[in-house]
Amino acid sequence: MSAPAIVSPFSWLDGAIAVLSLVATLWIGVRVKRYVGTLEDYLVASRGMGLYVGAASLLSTEVGIITFMYQAQFGFVAGFSAFVVGLLTLAVCLLVGRTGFVITRLREMEILTVPEYFEKRYGRSVRVLAGLLMAVGGSLNLGIFPIIEARFLAVVTGIPGQYLGWTMAVLLLVALAYTAIGGMVSLIVTNYVQYVFLAAGTVVVTLVCLREVGWGSMVGAVEGHMGGRGFDPVADLGTGFILWQVLLWIALMTVWQSVAMRTFSTRDAAVGRRMFTLTGFLFLGRALIPMAWGIAALAFFWGRSAPAVIPEAATPLARIERLDARLGETFRGDLEAGRLESALPQVDLLERLAREEASRTPEAFRFVARAAERKGEIGLLAMPWMLAATLPTGLLGLVLAGMLAASISTYAGYFLGWSAIIAQDIVGPLLSSRGAAVLSGDEGSATPAGPSGLVPSQALGMTDRARLRLTRVTVVALTVFIMIWSLVYHLPGPAYFYLQVTANLFMAPTLIAVVGGLYWRRASAAGATLAFVLGALTSLAYLVPSLKLDVATAGNLSWALAVAGFVAGSILFPRHPLRDPQEGPS
Amino acid sequence: MSWSAFWLASFVVAFLAFSLISLLIAVRGVAEIRELFAALEEERRRKGS
Repeated sequence: MSAPAIVSPFSWLDGAIAVLSLVATLWIGVRVKRYVGTLEDYLVASRGMGLYVGAASLLSTEVGIITFMYQAQFGFVAGFSAFVVGLLTLAVCLLVGRTGFVITRLREMEILTVPEYFEKRYGRSVRVLAGLLMAVGGSLNLGIFPIIEARFLAVVTGIPGQYLGWTMAVLLLVALAYTAIGGMVSLIVTNYVQYVFLAAGTVVVTLVCLREVGWGSMVGAVEGHMGGRGFDPVADLGTGFILWQVLLWIALMTVWQSVAMRTFSTRDAAVGRRMFTLTGFLFLGRALIPMAWGIAALAFFWGRSAPAVIPEAATPLARIERLDARLGETFRGDLEAGRLESALPQVDLLERLAREEASRTPEAFRFVARAAERKGEIGLLAMPWMLAATLPTGLLGLVLAGMLAASISTYAGYFLGWSAIIAQDIVGPLLSSRGAAVLSGDEGSATPAGPSGLVPSQALGMTDRARLRLTRVTVVALTVFIMIWSLVYHLPGPAYFYLQVTANLFMAPTLIAVVGGLYWRRASAAGATLAFVLGALTSLAYLVPSLKLDVATAGNLSWALAVAGFVAGSILFPRHPLRDPQEGPS
Repeated sequence: MSWSAFWLASFVVAFLAFSLISLLIAVRGVAEIRELFAALEEERRRKGS
């Protein structure tokens, strides 16, 4: 007899709480429009952001439903070993906050986007190349958020599949409305309100997990399921993965556009540094708390499951094949109905039998991979199914309001971040052909010189008003792209890998070119260009199946080649003393 | 210290820090937003005059 399906207790009360929170957010976001006059107001809130709203804004942007889902999935498949990523994030935040590494110098330059620095340091072509890679990688990264988040909403609310597309469209439109109108000012204010919802939802879910499952059961489930590997991150994830995560988080905290924009928006560099120190502990919670939900979901479904039966067959491989075929018939249905206690033991059994057999019959390896893929799928939906099974009406609405707030703030922050890159670093520079001379003319609203004495380079040829309009149009265009992409694109594998590959496209070369530019006098445009080309190509190589690169190897290789390209290019083709921009290390 | 105890301690620190800092943000954030609005308003008036 199969296990009963889970039916979400989602009611009109829950729906009303969620809708009210959305309406309140939209109302607040649109009302602050009157404070936006210039591009600097729009993109960095005239650099007036304080410590606490800065921390709230940073975290709201970097926490969406998708974050909760993939972190919970990581906890589900790796156990407590996954926690190491949260500790690394804390260490990186504290390092950046205490030393001001990269962020202090960028903040003092009063730039609006990271690629803007590249024009000052290396020239316009590097700015456009970096902007292009960031825009492509960032937009594709954002493009799957609605696909994943729709699955969460389907499970928790029980919304029928045919309405999910519309639901996601409404969420995107709410984010679009206040982002396009109010820019960073809207974001800061709405992020504050959204953070309060998000934090309340996070605390409620954690307490429910601990009450329903208990820490002892979570430890027991990891021990029974994964053994020592579920506790020892070096044995489970490997040093290569840990090294790559350190590098990735240094890049994320310093040059990831949505994070960098928060740095640029702070009152001064000192507030920026304190914000990172404070946010470090929030980022620790951002990782460990949902990972613990994933472990709780493992314990929850593992505790309800019965052992799977090995099918009868003549040989071990035939038994594995029969088990795989049986799973093929039931797995999808079990996953969609929340019968994870049926699917999980069978997938576990398949993985165990296939691993044992693989030493004798290499053909069994493909079943190991198939079991791992299915376990990943269960891991992605286990946490939402546990919430649907355990949260009562009313509380479910509050948690959903928190999750929606988290999601919309992420959309809004990323819309503004990536559209700023597209408008300021690709379209703007390519459109402007009139040169710097126009600034000395009668277009008085163009952005004045920054503290370095240089006129912000993105202003060339465009008035402040035109750049503001261009950015708003780009926000709308980006939203349309995300809607279309989320409708037509089907994920080929785990979301986590897709997100890493799209981010990797530009993360390594961006940080290397920024650090090299700030701290190495000989860094040249050729070096920066080579770093971007090699870094991006290595990330794309992960998508070529015949190369058989795992995600950590591709990630580390991307860093190594970007460094090699940067150093070789800078030494072989040094800066031209007259032709190249002069802003180097001081 | 075993791995299990280490992860429990890490989780307790993470959860308590998240809850306390969130409370701090909720209380202090309102004043900061008021200051931001005042600064933006002041700048708008300055540019308008």
